[in-house]
Amino acid sequence: MLQAIETTGQLAASSGATPIRIRNLTLSFGTTKVLKGIDLDIGAGEFFAFLGPSGSGKSTLLRAIAGFGPRPSGEILLGERNVIGLQPWKRDVGMVFQSYALWPHMTVRQNVAYGLEERRRPAEEIRRRVREALELVGLDAYADRYPSQLSGGQQQRVALARTVVIEPKVLLLDEPLSNLDANLRVQMRQDLLALQRRLGITTIFVTHDQEEANTICDRIAVLSDGVVQQVGEPDHVYDQPANSFVARFLGTANILDGRVIARDGACRFVLDERSSIPLQGSHGEGEASFVLRPRGLEFADDGAGEIAGTISGSEFLGDTIRYFVEIGDRSVLVDEVHRRGGDRRSAGTNVMLRVVPGQGVVLAR
Amino acid sequence: MSSFALKAAAGAAALFASVSMTTLAAASDKLTIVTSYPADVTDVYKSAFEQANPGVTVEVVNKSTSSGVKFLKETASNNSADIFWASAPDAFEVLKGDGLLVKYTSSVEGLPEKIGAYPINDPDGFYTGFALSGYGIMWNTRYAQSYDLEPAKQWSDLTKAQYFGHVGISSPSRSGTTHLTIETILQGEGWEKGWEQIKWIGGNSYTITERSFGVPDGVNTGSFGFGVVIDFFGFSSRSSGFPVDFVYPDVTALVPANVGVVTNAPNEDNARKFVDFLLSAKGQELLLDPKIMRLPVNPEAYANAPEGFPNPFVGDTIKASVSFDSDASKAHYNAVNALFDSMITYRHKELAAAVKAIHEAEAAVGEGGSQAAKDLIKEARALVAWTPVDLETANDPAFGAIFTTKRKSEDDKSSGRQAEVEQEWDARIVENYAKAVDLAEKAKSAN
Amino acid sequence: MAALSTVSSRASFGQRISWGPLTAALGILLFLVAFLILPVAMVIYVAFTDPGSGQLTLANFMDFFRSALFRESFYNSFYVAAMSVVLATVFALPLAYITSRFNFRGAVLIQTLGFVPLIMPPFIGAVAMQLLFGANGSVNLLLRDWFGFTLPFMEGLNGVILVQSIHYFPFILINLSASLRNIDRSMEESAQMLGSHGMRLFRRIVLPLAMPGYIAGASLVFVKVFDDLGTPLLLNVNNMLAPQAYLRISSVGISDPMGYVISVILIVCSIFAMWVSISAMRGKDYSTTQKGGGGLSKRDLGALETAGCYLVVLALLAIVLAPHIGLLLLSIGTVWSFSVLPDGFTTEHYAVAVNKAWPFIKNTLLYAGIAALIDVLLGTAIAYLAARTTLIGRKWLDYIAMAALAVPGVVLGIGYLRLFYSVDIPFTGAPLATWWGIIVIALATRRLPYALRSCSAALQQVSPSLEEASENLGAPKLRTVRRIVLPLMAAGLVAGFVTSFATAAVELSATIMLVAQESDAPLAYGLYLFMQSAAGRGPGAALGVITVVIVGLATYFAQHLVEKARREQSASAGSH
Repeated sequence: MLQAIETTGQLAASSGATPIRIRNLTLSFGTTKVLKGIDLDIGAGEFFAFLGPSGSGKSTLLRAIAGFGPRPSGEILLGERNVIGLQPWKRDVGMVFQSYALWPHMTVRQNVAYGLEERRRPAEEIRRRVREALELVGLDAYADRYPSQLSGGQQQRVALARTVVIEPKVLLLDEPLSNLDANLRVQMRQDLLALQRRLGITTIFVTHDQEEANTICDRIAVLSDGVVQQVGEPDHVYDQPANSFVARFLGTANILDGRVIARDGACRFVLDERSSIPLQGSHGEGEASFVLRPRGLEFADDGAGEIAGTISGSEFLGDTIRYFVEIGDRSVLVDEVHRRGGDRRSAGTNVMLRVVPGQGVVLAR
Repeated sequence: MSSFALKAAAGAAALFASVSMTTLAAASDKLTIVTSYPADVTDVYKSAFEQANPGVTVEVVNKSTSSGVKFLKETASNNSADIFWASAPDAFEVLKGDGLLVKYTSSVEGLPEKIGAYPINDPDGFYTGFALSGYGIMWNTRYAQSYDLEPAKQWSDLTKAQYFGHVGISSPSRSGTTHLTIETILQGEGWEKGWEQIKWIGGNSYTITERSFGVPDGVNTGSFGFGVVIDFFGFSSRSSGFPVDFVYPDVTALVPANVGVVTNAPNEDNARKFVDFLLSAKGQELLLDPKIMRLPVNPEAYANAPEGFPNPFVGDTIKASVSFDSDASKAHYNAVNALFDSMITYRHKELAAAVKAIHEAEAAVGEGGSQAAKDLIKEARALVAWTPVDLETANDPAFGAIFTTKRKSEDDKSSGRQAEVEQEWDARIVENYAKAVDLAEKAKSAN
Repeated sequence: MAALSTVSSRASFGQRISWGPLTAALGILLFLVAFLILPVAMVIYVAFTDPGSGQLTLANFMDFFRSALFRESFYNSFYVAAMSVVLATVFALPLAYITSRFNFRGAVLIQTLGFVPLIMPPFIGAVAMQLLFGANGSVNLLLRDWFGFTLPFMEGLNGVILVQSIHYFPFILINLSASLRNIDRSMEESAQMLGSHGMRLFRRIVLPLAMPGYIAGASLVFVKVFDDLGTPLLLNVNNMLAPQAYLRISSVGISDPMGYVISVILIVCSIFAMWVSISAMRGKDYSTTQKGGGGLSKRDLGALETAGCYLVVLALLAIVLAPHIGLLLLSIGTVWSFSVLPDGFTTEHYAVAVNKAWPFIKNTLLYAGIAALIDVLLGTAIAYLAARTTLIGRKWLDYIAMAALAVPGVVLGIGYLRLFYSVDIPFTGAPLATWWGIIVIALATRRLPYALRSCSAALQQVSPSLEEASENLGAPKLRTVRRIVLPLMAAGLVAGFVTSFATAAVELSATIMLVAQESDAPLAYGLYLFMQSAAGRGPGAALGVITVVIVGLATYFAQHLVEKARREQSASAGSH
């Protein structure tokens, strides 16, 4: 199941940025294995996302990089340095917590200055850098407030300023947007991206929301059950899911079980005795799943389709209409572009479906 | 168990309930005794009396003598006590004076009326002596051995330098029996000399205990080695196995321990029976229980006494050179308490410092020291001995009035406030003790 | 849908003018006035009365401040209370830190045994401490034998400080542990990430965040020590305010108003101390736990570290449990006099104690049980009225109930005697003050603040929206409280019950004034009786051990219930 990982760094890494390499990282809580041999390469200056449902191990992995939680086995290389076993305060890793973790007994200024004070920077420098960091997040006017006097978005930005002010080698963001309301979230993720680009710092973003990951991250790693399922650029992962989990987790997918057969040099995916789908390229014969997005199917109103089915219902989604089509004892989703005035196909209609050429991925089972 | 259930049921509604089942059941099959005696004494008499009077339940309310008196005073309007049973005759005098006791002369016959010159029973018949108590010195033999100290036989021994920090005494304001002891010394040695001796014993003390029992307790456990106690504490501790002993100094008095029937007693019949029981042959015999160990008032009872138990009616184990005068005691009762506390209890640290300094100076100067040094020491001793009021003032009822607030009438005014007077004393006392330390230091260096 | 919403909004308008909360508030107020305010007012009145003329005057207070002895007593009380807080902190801080910080098997030990000192009945703790640490106690006898010197652990004020800080340090331990538990893990992690660790992190982040809990515990210790009577008396330390008050009030024949003046001063000082602590904590509710958070991150310990922790924990437990160890020795010893250990051992004392103890035990369980029940009922009601209703003056119920903390037991006892002696129990004609129920009420009044704080804390954790949800589904106020609020508060209520029960079971200062007959006496009083005679010390100690075991077991099981409830709640709440 493990995917080979290509080392890329297609981003123009800023000169000082640090790459992260994770090798065979395994971690247990008591007897429960939470991370099962993670291998990952994150390029210098890259904006990377760990995407996965809760319980997938993404936060545990992030915390392992920061040095929290039980000690894992394997390697975490920040640059050339393996940080396993290193205390959190010796790693130079900046983390923004989901809860922001602002200290309620300190003002904004004190919160932000904390890391610099711990580094015994001269007072003058601390003053300057705190001011700069607060300007960076647009909160210089709020320096003397206490966290409880700020809104959620402002707290988030203080947490960010507090972390970046120490100029960490790596920035870790643990579900940073999850406590914000929807509008603010969209705004904030753009701000985050801008900030990351400006600082050029290698950044890992943990989220369960694929839209967040897709919109701002250079690459994503999909995690499930303590295992990296797939790594790649968002569109690539979306289009070429490595397995049915990734396919399902990233958007809606029809996953049809069947068999691949090769005849006369051409491959077909056989659903049942009556329906089969022509495949492009060559595939090994045998049991397989055929994965395709609802948009990968279309109604063959001319009858020249491969699959026969019956519409059982539909949902209006705005720019598309999603149909539920029964094919024997299975059900698939078909999206059709909606235009004003267009007719909606009614339930009970018998239809023929065809796979849009080039769509769909065959996954060996 | 059923009474538990009953109480629980009543308790659930306790806040607003208006009837208490338990108290409703009570009629005249009860006897409530307010006493300063410990369970060791009361248990024995409770069960013996209940056995002798089937159907009667004895309720014991344990209070220190002083709070017992206070309790009866506070609750006089709605009295629930039948018997007041304690050692100190002066407490009974106070109660008698306040009309809280009723006359009762026991039907038991054949008991002596006096011990020496001292009447065993209240001549006016308000209270009855059932046992005798003398006062003396109790010591821990292990302690004395460990610190290489001779057993002290006389009060004056306890004032000596070698006993510094090894003595324990209670305060007369806290302990009725200690009050008697102090009063006995004052009567035996005279007011001035008596106070001086008491202060030196106080200065030599490791601590001034808050309760009478604190002294025998301290000796028993070895917190300090020597204690000024009432005799039965010594005897009962010894019979309980503690390595302690007791001696009567020459200056002591035998004073009866008493029992009296409370005014408006709800169970007056039973109260009388109890007084009779105490004086009966059986009741007297029970005094010799190893946990009690008090001197019976019936000379016959001594026949069965254990080896080494003193008999005040025979021989001179107890010299009892002082014939206790309770009228004199009553005249300055409050003043003695206040003086003791002002000079000793509350200023124990300062007094001990002065006493210690003088002991050291005397040791340094010795017999052959310079006259100047001896004079300084004499001066220092005089400062320690200084007592704010003389006997005459102490006995003056006008002076005594500052210690009482129970006004007899609306326009009855007393001359000063106790706190005001005590503050004047205190200032002088503290100053004297500090000066005594200075003088003693000077004497040492002057030598 | 529309109909439904009108119904519910009408219902909620109905609630506004409902008489329920108002009646409850008046009932509680009546209780507080009758059993707290009036008795105390009686005492205060005497303090302002001229003993000679009977007129109101300030002269008594002038006398107080003019008197060097009283000024010194005042200073001593203050010093002892402050030093006890310091020493109690020394005991509590490492224990709280270790339990909240490390995965440590001994944590259970600490949580169980840490509470035990609180259930040491008064004054017998001091007896045991004298035997162990006194001038000629076991430790000093050994020191004298081996090294030829002794240490003044128990001399004068030292002894009071030592005994008090051991007795009351659990207040700090409990409060501090609770606040440490409430610090979210990320608070600490973010500081680590920024380069902070070890003591520095503890000092700059953890301690400030735990400060509200610490202050709450410390101020409680301060007030309790400041007001406490039994310990200084037993150690024969008179130059403190509470003993001065008691000595002057209870001395024979002397009716000096100074005792009452001191009582007033004690009350004023205690209220002041509590006010200081409350205002220091205002606006500093640092409860930072997030969903799925829950306490500082616990670290596993290496073998050496574990050994070190056990060493610290055992050393501290040995000190704080010294009174119990001494008590146990005393209860099984034959004669213990001027020796390191008793001369021999016996079980006889237990036979004597058990023989006599049942009425005392029965009374104690009954009194402390009812008192704690009253406390939890009143506490819940007051907390609910104060937090969830709009009654005018609702906060004052809370303040008045809390003020009971500032009233020394003796003062309350005297007040009750003065107030209730002239009131008869209907039908029997006996004075109300001699009825055993009055002891229960005194205990309930004295311990109400403990239960009230637990109840308030528990209520704060129940979001109003949970109540609204219930009301929305058609449950009226009272049923909502019964079906939703109370079950969610259960753990806190049990905690309140336990604290009230355990401390009421060993209370003496108020009961000693109010016990009218031995058959009504609770254990603490029974102990007091036993301890008044040479032969009674062994059985008294045995009774003391029995008390500690009974109250300890009751506490343990209740604690167990609370923990179980907490675990279930957190299991269902957080799946993150």
